[in-house]
Amino acid sequence: MTQEQTYLLGEQAVVLDLNCARLDNTQQNRLFALHRHLQKQAQYTDIVVGKTSLTLVLQDPTQCASWQDQLLLLWEELSAEDFHPTTHQIPVVYGQAAGPDLAPLAVQLGLSQSDIIELHSAPLYQVKFLGFLPGFAYLGCVPERLRVARLDSPRAHVPAGSVAIAEDLSAIYPSTSPGGWRLLGHSPTQLFNPHNQPPCLFQPGDNVKFVPQKEGLC
Amino acid sequence: MLEVIKPGVQLCIQDLGRHGHRHLGVSQSGALDPLAVRIANTLLGNPLNTAVLEITVGLTQLQFTSATNFALTGGDLKACLDDTPLTPGWRYYAKPGQLLSFASSPDALRAYVSVEGGFDLQSVMGSCATDLQAGFGGINGSPLAAGDQLHYSSCPERHSVGALQPGYYKQVRILSGPHCTQLDSSAAQLLSAKSWQVLPDSNRMGMRLTGPDLITHQLSINSQAVLPGTIQLPPNGAPIVLLNDCQTTGGYPMIAQVIQADLRHFAQLSAGDQISFTLTTPAQAHQDTQQQNYLLNQLRIALTHHDRSIS
Repeated sequence: MTQEQTYLLGEQAVVLDLNCARLDNTQQNRLFALHRHLQKQAQYTDIVVGKTSLTLVLQDPTQCASWQDQLLLLWEELSAEDFHPTTHQIPVVYGQAAGPDLAPLAVQLGLSQSDIIELHSAPLYQVKFLGFLPGFAYLGCVPERLRVARLDSPRAHVPAGSVAIAEDLSAIYPSTSPGGWRLLGHSPTQLFNPHNQPPCLFQPGDNVKFVPQKEGLC
Repeated sequence: MLEVIKPGVQLCIQDLGRHGHRHLGVSQSGALDPLAVRIANTLLGNPLNTAVLEITVGLTQLQFTSATNFALTGGDLKACLDDTPLTPGWRYYAKPGQLLSFASSPDALRAYVSVEGGFDLQSVMGSCATDLQAGFGGINGSPLAAGDQLHYSSCPERHSVGALQPGYYKQVRILSGPHCTQLDSSAAQLLSAKSWQVLPDSNRMGMRLTGPDLITHQLSINSQAVLPGTIQLPPNGAPIVLLNDCQTTGGYPMIAQVIQADLRHFAQLSAGDQISFTLTTPAQAHQDTQQQNYLLNQLRIALTHHDRSIS
């Protein structure tokens, strides 16, 4: 049982906090159903899904108190079946220059490179939330056997398109940036372009399937 | 047009920020002092969200190549039009060839310049604000450099006019944050019990603070939405006040939120400055936001009257 609660963050934001360490699939999809439902309303500036929370930034701060009640009601009313995610097929060239951490990781985990590719590309991942960089999606969940810590020292430049893992999450770097995740491969798919409408390929809750390409290891 | 002769420490295009895209990891950006932007645009009869120049530290030189009225607001960085000293909170007329230059000041950090009708810029995701981290908005997502040119439509001369700007203070009001109850003592009360020093590695993303007794802890929270004005407390106990370029989610406990009306004071704080916090209530915070709106309305009415009486 969760003891969900709502509280204010400053003057203009209301948080629905599910007060638990992690969400099960049903709760997760209910949260995304709530996000999509709220996106159709015109009274907000921003809605941000967190790991176990949703924050609504309102245009009119006098509405905060009523939204504290409404969020709890909506959370009760919506079900996981109300959420219909889009699934994206993401081509990935694994290994060698495209994924410099694949070979050392195989040694570390006592697996072959093909095993790692098979493990990584098997699940249907879900966009848990976006952050860090515009379009940087936290994808869960990486299979247990593939869970590794971040690099001890982050790289100064991770190329855009790098497909990476850290702990129970995978991600694709939408732009070149510093980063400490382990790089397994590279995808040519453009994830974020501020001049496109919509600017971001992935929306919170979308599904992602990695498809190994023949140009790389598979 | 306006040509950048010397950009100084940091010169960038900002407006009231990029909203509605936080769920995609897109920061708000926008001017650190939104009231200064709204005053500058009110002085010129521009829409309040018209993009302006944000000048940081100063040591900046800009040249007008065509006639326009412009407004100068924010901190007093000792601006001059050619050799004439200018006062923040006023609008002025620039003739072609005139040089707008900024020195610097130990008491101020950021100034704002708007031109009548606004600069000719392309909006990205609903805003012209420069997102310096992600590299879009403004001009190619970068701070302005020497030789950059900003286009605007030339305007006939208007009388110089201005009004006293609300002051900048080193005492900032906060509301208690959601994770205080999970820490041993009320961190928001501890925060307001003493003064804090601004550290040098502060920037538009956040202001790092240090003090005599840091509030160390072991509490980690699930990543959730953070906003400009959120005060995070990392385990080392040194608070971080998030500012406009902050990330959209964070995993450090949120111990307080700076009220919106007072966020502008952070635009003028430099490394080494001492600041203090006082706890307030949401009702008081709303009232202060309203007060700023009244002030802008009063200014607009007074300007309309002034401009009509002299034309």
